[in-house]
Amino acid sequence: MTSLAILEKETALKPTGAAGQTAPATGSVQVRDLEHTYDASGRTTKALEGIQLDIAPGRFVVIVGPSGCGKSSLLMMMTGLLRPSSGTILCGGRPMTEPDPDVVGVVFQEASLYPWLTAQDNVEFPLSLRRMPKAERAKRARDRLALVGLNGFEDRYPHELSGGMKQRVSIARGLVQDPPILMLDEPFAALDEQTRISMGDELLRIWERTGKTVIFVTHSLTEAAYLADEIIVMSARPGRIIDRIEVDLPRPRTYEMMSTPRFAELRERIWSQIRTQVVE
Amino acid sequence: MRRLLGLALLILWEVLPRAGFIPSLFLPPLTETLRALVAGGGEYLRHLLLSLYAIGLSMLAACGIGIGAGLLIGSIAPVRRVVQPLASGLYAVPLVILYPLFTAWFGIGPQSKIVFASIYGLLPCFLGTVAGVQTIDRQYVTVARSMKASRWQMVSRVLLPAAIPTVLSAFRVGGALVIVGIVVAEMLTSTEGIGYLITRYRTLLESPRVSAGILVVVALVVAFDSLVRLLERRTRHWRLSTRSA
Repeated sequence: MTSLAILEKETALKPTGAAGQTAPATGSVQVRDLEHTYDASGRTTKALEGIQLDIAPGRFVVIVGPSGCGKSSLLMMMTGLLRPSSGTILCGGRPMTEPDPDVVGVVFQEASLYPWLTAQDNVEFPLSLRRMPKAERAKRARDRLALVGLNGFEDRYPHELSGGMKQRVSIARGLVQDPPILMLDEPFAALDEQTRISMGDELLRIWERTGKTVIFVTHSLTEAAYLADEIIVMSARPGRIIDRIEVDLPRPRTYEMMSTPRFAELRERIWSQIRTQVVE
Repeated sequence: MRRLLGLALLILWEVLPRAGFIPSLFLPPLTETLRALVAGGGEYLRHLLLSLYAIGLSMLAACGIGIGAGLLIGSIAPVRRVVQPLASGLYAVPLVILYPLFTAWFGIGPQSKIVFASIYGLLPCFLGTVAGVQTIDRQYVTVARSMKASRWQMVSRVLLPAAIPTVLSAFRVGGALVIVGIVVAEMLTSTEGIGYLITRYRTLLESPRVSAGILVVVALVVAFDSLVRLLERRTRHWRLSTRSA
């Protein structure tokens, strides 16, 4: 897709704009010289090293790497939830020294909905923290729930929803403040195979409709190849970026593509990178 | 089954004293107890209301302060590490032994028993809430941080609701102790209340009236327990949910 098309989508779907906001943040992400070390049981461990990253607005970027490589930590730093030891992170041009839900929506591995709130109230929650009037936030939350295909489930409590549905609510919640960037930390890892594939399709559909920048962490190579515009491959600890793979599979992606030679080649290329990093 | 057991106990309560297995001075038959209760109805009601007033105030103080402080202190780790063992230690002290001091400070009016029962119920409320805050899923906090919740919103919108199941069980223990505290205090030194009534009739050896008073206290505790159960049922969404997707 051309950058022009992305721009069009961005402007078309941007609602009137959050009240009192200065220039709306764009969906770009820049990471410069990011390093992270932490102390555990008296030893200093280097977790991330020399991370440089530029992500253009509207891209679907997937981060993969061997377990323990710090890919989730990197994502948490980009959300502002975790402070890197050094380096800078800019999301939509703003430094992410703390979370900013107007710029970055976050979806966690476990759906992490509040069990005492209905689906509707869970999605409204971030807006209610901002003291948005009830009527307006109810409407916004309903729209988001409809976007993720959950109309009619507004009054259900999390324990009345399936795993996939919970994750849909979670995505709706991440998008409710209309941030230009959505970051997801292994969001479908706890789901079964079928649900996982259909949730992938669902996310692609949402992404195509909203034009958000999506940064997606996973350990599934198939998921990475199926979803991404670009795959970022990380090394074992200390995590570095060892490869960036442009995925040239056409959009929209279909299930059948998974059995094409090109898809297999792609998977092979990622795996050959990661294999060298996996130490048993 | 439970009802059957209850019924059996009631029948035994009637039959055993009547048959002479237990002197009716020690255990007056059920019917006699009920008759005493009905005959002295106004008096029981008046003293019950006085006790209820004291219980209400003490519960408000014990649970309000206990749960509030528990939430606050439980969520600030360094403070909790100092306060928690201290409170646990204090909880092990039978506070009843301090009651004479309370009467010296506050007189034998309702103030003494209210203060005493408040402190008596406060500790389990506090300790239960502190423990409850600890078991809150860290993920709830992380999610709220990602939405830029303020410190106050974190406590009121996340920690408090997340702690409600444990707070309720703390309330169950703390509230029951408040009732015990009030009744015991009334029995020791007081001029009014249901506990006072029981003690007075005991010194007068009016057994049916004593057991009628005991019956009222039992009813009170059962009513409190049903209230807590009702609250627990209304918050079942909390407990039914498991975090994993």
